[in-house]
Amino acid sequence: MADEALARAGLHFDELNKIRVLEPEVAQQTKELKEECKEFVEKIGDFQKIVGTFIEMVDVVAKEVEQEKMKAIGARNLLKSIAKQRESQQQQLHALITEKRMQMERLRIQQDALLKEEASQNEFIEQLILQK
Amino acid sequence: MRFKTALQKEPKHSELVSCVGWTTPDEVYSSADDHHIIKWNLTNNETATLLELPKECFPTSMHWFPKSAQSGAGKKAGSDVFVLTSTDGKFHLISRTGRIEKSTEAHKGAVLCGRWSYDGTALLTAGEDGQVKTWSRSGMLRSTLTQNSIPVYSAAWGPDSDQVLFTNGRQLVIKPLQANAKPQMWKAHEGIVLCVDWNHVNNLILSGAEDKRYKVWDTYGRLLYSSSGHEYPVTAVSWTPDGEMFAVGSFNTLRLCDSSGWSYALEKPNTGSIFSLAWSSDGTQVAGACGNGQVIFANVIERRLEWKNYEASVTASKQIQVRNVMNDTTEKLDFRDRVIKVSLGFNHLVVATSSQCYIYSTKNWNTPMIFDLKEGSVTLIKQAEKHFLLVDGTGVYVFSYDGRLVCTPRYQGMKADILNQQTIALSNDTVAIRDKTDEKVVYVFDAQTGKTMGDGKPITHKVEVMDIGLDQCGITAERRITLVDKNRDLFLTSVRIFGAERKVIKLANMIQAHAWNDETNMLAAMTDGKILVWYYPNAVYVDKDLLPRTLYEKDTSEFGKAPQLVDFLGSHLILRRAEGSLISTTISHYPSVLHSFVMNGKWDDAVRLCRFVKEENLWACLAAMATYAKDLNTAEVAYAAIKEADKVQFIINIKDIPVKEARNAEMALLCGNQQDAEAILLQATLTFRAIMLNVQLYNWDRALELAVKHKTHVDTVLGYRQKFLARFDKEETNKRFLQYKEGIDVDWDNINSKIEMEYQKERERPSGGGSSAVSGGHSRVGQAAV
Repeated sequence: MADEALARAGLHFDELNKIRVLEPEVAQQTKELKEECKEFVEKIGDFQKIVGTFIEMVDVVAKEVEQEKMKAIGARNLLKSIAKQRESQQQQLHALITEKRMQMERLRIQQDALLKEEASQNEFIEQLILQK
Repeated sequence: MRFKTALQKEPKHSELVSCVGWTTPDEVYSSADDHHIIKWNLTNNETATLLELPKECFPTSMHWFPKSAQSGAGKKAGSDVFVLTSTDGKFHLISRTGRIEKSTEAHKGAVLCGRWSYDGTALLTAGEDGQVKTWSRSGMLRSTLTQNSIPVYSAAWGPDSDQVLFTNGRQLVIKPLQANAKPQMWKAHEGIVLCVDWNHVNNLILSGAEDKRYKVWDTYGRLLYSSSGHEYPVTAVSWTPDGEMFAVGSFNTLRLCDSSGWSYALEKPNTGSIFSLAWSSDGTQVAGACGNGQVIFANVIERRLEWKNYEASVTASKQIQVRNVMNDTTEKLDFRDRVIKVSLGFNHLVVATSSQCYIYSTKNWNTPMIFDLKEGSVTLIKQAEKHFLLVDGTGVYVFSYDGRLVCTPRYQGMKADILNQQTIALSNDTVAIRDKTDEKVVYVFDAQTGKTMGDGKPITHKVEVMDIGLDQCGITAERRITLVDKNRDLFLTSVRIFGAERKVIKLANMIQAHAWNDETNMLAAMTDGKILVWYYPNAVYVDKDLLPRTLYEKDTSEFGKAPQLVDFLGSHLILRRAEGSLISTTISHYPSVLHSFVMNGKWDDAVRLCRFVKEENLWACLAAMATYAKDLNTAEVAYAAIKEADKVQFIINIKDIPVKEARNAEMALLCGNQQDAEAILLQATLTFRAIMLNVQLYNWDRALELAVKHKTHVDTVLGYRQKFLARFDKEETNKRFLQYKEGIDVDWDNINSKIEMEYQKERERPSGGGSSAVSGGHSRVGQAAV
């Protein structure tokens, strides 16, 4: 009875017979809620930490990827320019070869002329020998 | 021949270099878009900034005041200046110390080109506004030569500084400085012409254009050479000072070419476009202004010379390698200074470096004769058997092969710096130089004393002389000179004339080049598609009819189009084909053998040789030689062999004449020299023969004049005159004959006995030289001629 009267007045006793303002059940639940909340906050904190490190990691990776990408582009360009360079080098070498070839042709003609002259002189000598 | 190029590791200029210029062969100045003018010292490879130009001033071209004009005008050495043109429309005169002496507003828009004239009296500028202007030495405007609608990219002075060449789009224009003279204009390229140069020694024009070609022109605008297309536009061209080679610059390209256009060598240095090229005064180094901020330096090396069995090549700038092909030995010759000119011939190698001259004998390569040169830049070496000739900027010097100065030929107004192979000739006793101010005049000097020959009067030809040559052998009194004139006609004349009038005889026309043989007096000449060789050019002085028969013609079609005649050594003709290869070809060996027999007076051997060879032109040579040497027996045989019966008859008659002088006179007649013949006779007091000579030639007036003067044989002359008139059934109209006829009776018995007496007297002359057969008194003067 007394309990009821007390209950009406908003007072309650718990198992340890301590006087309480809240109903023991509610109090119990509140406590549980509080605990759960605490747990939740902790978990969220953990989550945030994990996500933070994750983001950091992704950032690092992104940076690396970006770098690699630039490198790749550079390499690709270099490759292209090397091809061009080779082409111009080739052109230059071709020009030099043509030049050398012309020079060789000149020397060949000179040699031919000299050989012809030698032949004619030999013929001349032979003729002299035969006639004498 | 090729270039040895040198580039810096790092460019000294931060922007493109636009122009370069030389002062001495060791000092170069370059100017670039970074506003710096840098001075390069090539001996210690140091550079120093001479001057920093204002920020708005971008240089376009530079040209140093010509060295030759400095000494000529007697100016101090300290007055070295150069002209620098810039994009702000001004040109600046800048001294060697880096002080801007004068800046003049010259053109609207950029000034693209600035050039001093060769004599240093005037400056030429060309601008983006299409104008070409000339300025005085101090920078005052003289005249505006032209007003084009398009920029003038390049301009150059003519050799005499009296006309200028400039570009006009695809055209080239030559404009004389006289106010109302008509300019000469021709289309030169398919693209815009970017650069031109005009050499004052060989008078040729060089142009390079955006159509990627370079071309060589003569002053009439005729194309002499057109290059094949390059990969990039030709941005720079430059002649060497002696006009023997030129350099061509393009993107990453430097080319060395012969004056006839073909290319000696190509270099592909990493330079970017070469915007300007400049040769050092000695013509061995070239500097180029490069688009990437570099300045390229190139040395000409591997110049090769051949003579008989020797081959000399300049392997490095201070080294020559000589190879004897016969035993394959090589000699390395090292020098203290740069080798500037080399000449090989007549068993000697002559090398001119920048300070000394070395003379090597082919017998001994170890101990050369060395002497110092006053001025470093030798422009020409010419050799003869006994001595050689050096030409530098100030004069012509003849040295013997032991290094002794023999003489320094000189005449009023001589310009030694523009002499070339064509305008100077040397033989063992004579030097001949073509005058520059009056090209019709050729000065001849005695090579031993350096004095002008004879009465000091030069040989004056009717037309401008382009090419001269001297024969190399024989005695001094018979030295002959050949002249090729502007119409390309070849003439022969004697160097020494004794009182008589100069006889200039035309040998041939359309001659491109000619050369005397080095061992005998044979002459070779190049004409269209043929080589002509006169085995004995002296024949014109003996018997003009014989000359064509001593001529040997050789077709040159096997040597390609338009080969050049380079040299005539022994029985070898050395030719250069149009594309640059040297070829040699032989002529018959017999003429030179014949020459040597005749030179030593071995007439029997000469006759035997001709009999053995059985060639008509050899017999003709022998006939001419024997007649010239007055060896009658040989002449008779030779004339008989070429079936000249009348000449044989004449010679037989001459042989019968007892008096030596009379024989000489008859020989002179055979050679067609009537005046000489008469002079010989009169000098020997053979008056009767002189009179008869004129009678036989129907030279009646002279015959009578002589007879009256010497008071003898007047009746003989009258008698022959009467006979002559009777034969042609004519009346006497000559007043003098009419006058003398009156006093004198013509009695043929009397005349004949007088003539007989004369012959009798001749036979009794002590100097009669009766060695030759004297037959009865029936020999008649000039029987064959009647």
